[in-house]
Amino acid sequence: MCEGLTDVALARAIGVVLSGVCGSLVRVEVEVSSGLPSVGVVGLPDTSVGESRWRARSALTSIGATWPLQRVTVSLAPAEVRKVGAGLDLPIAIAVLVASEQLSGIHLDSTVLLGELGLDGSLRPVRGALAGVLAAQGSDRIIVPAASLAEIGSIPAVRGAHDLAEAIAILRGEAVGASPVAHAPAQSERPDLADVRGHTQARHCLEIAAAGGHHLAMVGAPGIGKTLLAERLPGVMPDLQEESAREVAVVHSLADRPHPGVTPPFEAPHHSASVSALIGSVSGARVTPGAFVLAHHGVLFMDEAPEFARPCLEALRQPLESGVVSLHRSGWSGTLPSAFQLVVAANPCPCGMRGTPECSCPPAAIRRYAARLSGPLMDRIDLRVGLSRPRDVELRDPTRAEASSRVRERVAVARERATQRFVEMPWKLNARIPTGELRRRFAPDDGGSQLLADVERQSRNLRGPDRILRVAWTVADLQGHDRPTRDDVAQALGLRGAATPWAA
Amino acid sequence: MGSVIASWVTLAHVIEPGDPRLGQRVQQLGPDSVLDMIANGHQGIPEAVVRRYQDFVASGADREWQSRAANVGARIITPEDIEWPTQINDLGPRTPFALWVTGAPNVRLSLLRSVAIVGARANTPYGDEIARRWSADLADDGVTVVSGGAFGIDAAAHRGALMGGLTVCVVAGGVDVVYPRAHESLLARIADDGLLISESPPGQPVRRQRFLTRNRMIAALTKVTVVVEAAERSGTASTAREAHELNRPVAAVPGPISSPTSSGCHRLIRDHEAVLVSSVEEVTELLGDWAPEAHGASRRQGPDMSERERRVWESLPVRGSIGLDELVRICGLDVQDVSTALGILDASGRVTSDGKGWRVAT
Repeated sequence: MCEGLTDVALARAIGVVLSGVCGSLVRVEVEVSSGLPSVGVVGLPDTSVGESRWRARSALTSIGATWPLQRVTVSLAPAEVRKVGAGLDLPIAIAVLVASEQLSGIHLDSTVLLGELGLDGSLRPVRGALAGVLAAQGSDRIIVPAASLAEIGSIPAVRGAHDLAEAIAILRGEAVGASPVAHAPAQSERPDLADVRGHTQARHCLEIAAAGGHHLAMVGAPGIGKTLLAERLPGVMPDLQEESAREVAVVHSLADRPHPGVTPPFEAPHHSASVSALIGSVSGARVTPGAFVLAHHGVLFMDEAPEFARPCLEALRQPLESGVVSLHRSGWSGTLPSAFQLVVAANPCPCGMRGTPECSCPPAAIRRYAARLSGPLMDRIDLRVGLSRPRDVELRDPTRAEASSRVRERVAVARERATQRFVEMPWKLNARIPTGELRRRFAPDDGGSQLLADVERQSRNLRGPDRILRVAWTVADLQGHDRPTRDDVAQALGLRGAATPWAA
Repeated sequence: MGSVIASWVTLAHVIEPGDPRLGQRVQQLGPDSVLDMIANGHQGIPEAVVRRYQDFVASGADREWQSRAANVGARIITPEDIEWPTQINDLGPRTPFALWVTGAPNVRLSLLRSVAIVGARANTPYGDEIARRWSADLADDGVTVVSGGAFGIDAAAHRGALMGGLTVCVVAGGVDVVYPRAHESLLARIADDGLLISESPPGQPVRRQRFLTRNRMIAALTKVTVVVEAAERSGTASTAREAHELNRPVAAVPGPISSPTSSGCHRLIRDHEAVLVSSVEEVTELLGDWAPEAHGASRRQGPDMSERERRVWESLPVRGSIGLDELVRICGLDVQDVSTALGILDASGRVTSDGKGWRVAT
């Protein structure tokens, strides 16, 4: 809206601020009226917003404009929403230019402006630009710092400007600005399963985990290849679909990470991490997502899982149950998306040398170590693999193992089967079938049911057969069966955690 | 007294098992005459025996022995019976006078094709595994496994045999005396599915001497005696010696030369009292004409075991566990087939998983 040509020295521009992981549009109103030169910012600005006036003033000077030597009032509406971040610099500066009649003939009523200004007029990238842009979708134009284009990906209305002058030129229609680029999937950079020797069981479990969305636990001596294998899970998972990719990009944008593209993300927090580092933190009203959130739609790898602090392991339960994490802080309360696939790795004992003469761990210490991964947590982990060291002949074998791309093709076919089966259900993966539904609607065929009944008779853990049945569905999907057969159930049973402390 | 059966039973009550001097008299004169001599306190009959006879009569046991046996579910077999295992007569003067038996199978027929599996009470996992697996294979092939019901190798042999066939336990006390106490359920299972045999009447406690006399029975009742693990001086050695003296084949399973529990086996082999056996087929070979037609593993698969399961099953180690990766390498099947086979074997209780991998279920 431009009223710069009238006597009323009032201008409005539209900016955007972040609230958690969502952007919300903010109407920036600037009034220039007579009085002693002063600047007042109202509408719950935090410090960084309040300081906009200084950056905007210098930026104006840098392009040869002047800051009006009058009373300037900046109002941010809606007034009760807390405004965070420097992204409002650009709309404030533009609105001041219009209100002081230094800029005219532009349309601001369907344009969203986003960017932090440098004293030299340059436009700097802002955190969470993507979330902001998504909130602004539907506007005719969205002008953002050119440096933020990388994390935004391809959204048609977005124009990137390098500095204030270029932003003005775009507004005037004198420049086009940089347009965002679509992200090519970085296939070549993904670690490939072809590089892994041996570990036949683990490879097969990775395939099943990818196809059914099952959480996975790996147990093996240090250096045996747990990380090597875990890193390759995203590479056999299907590429992210548009909506999922956007959700992932938003949380990465909040953490100042580059756009992750369509490869499922891989997060590997160190076991010394704090709860805040895992679920996220709030400082002021600014939300920084933690590793659980950054792993959304991807893989969360917790190496040396028993070494994580107990509160950190407890914090896993909410995302595993509901796919979100809740943050309740004074600055902001809400939930962040956190639907990841968990891979935990553990040593067979505290010293890691179990099974060799060097191991000096007493049995009680080994039990305590395994017990740190509590029952409720392990109950949600459908697949457990005990890794053994590959034989020399395997390591020397010159033929390359099967490549991730081949595995990914099979996974995609299996997932398609599952998607069709779950077309009217709120979940899309076998691992997410609720326990009640599992028994009622997803029984295996007669042979499979018989085998499962035999297992149930021997099982000590009530959840054990449920885990087997979920995995059996994925095996059936990979085999192209309509429902799990006796062999599918048997395979799920055979893959159950032998050689792990959670064998039963 | 009347019947010759009553004479045999009375002799079994009053003469300590395996007494060769009185045994010889019984062989020469017949049970009735010897019993008369005892009843009359004849010269040359030890006082202890006469006293035991007087106690036997005074306690009324001479009238109640039948009901006492029936009360504990035992039947009595004497040398005239058709069920009498005649091979035991090879003991000559040390032949028992009567046998108390619980369990349905026919004693004589059951022991026609039989192998004794004996060994140390303080065994190693290696011996346990061998005893159990071989016994299971032998029992599966229709060979009756005979042992003494003790801890260690004996128990492993019985347990293995119970998985697929017939086992006989020769006990040192009465058939109703549970010894060792911890084997109450094992002995009950043997009585249900196999046979408990004793030459002592019900209620007779075990005594040190009776373990040795029991061992001569094990050796005499069976065609072959296999010593799985034995220390240099042990009761097992006595069983082997008895079998050797009866000219029955004795076999010994070798172990590490550093293992004290195998040194008795090595000594037997070195002294040419036993032949070395390293597989269950080598044991059945010793049965000669009585060797079963089918052998171990092929019979072991059972009717429901497919080729795939059999390959995995046979690739499992005799002792200890194995990881899935290693199994895949050994069987030459892919990981899906191996895990499927393991699942089916697991559901039927044949294999089990633990913190180290997969193993044969015990």
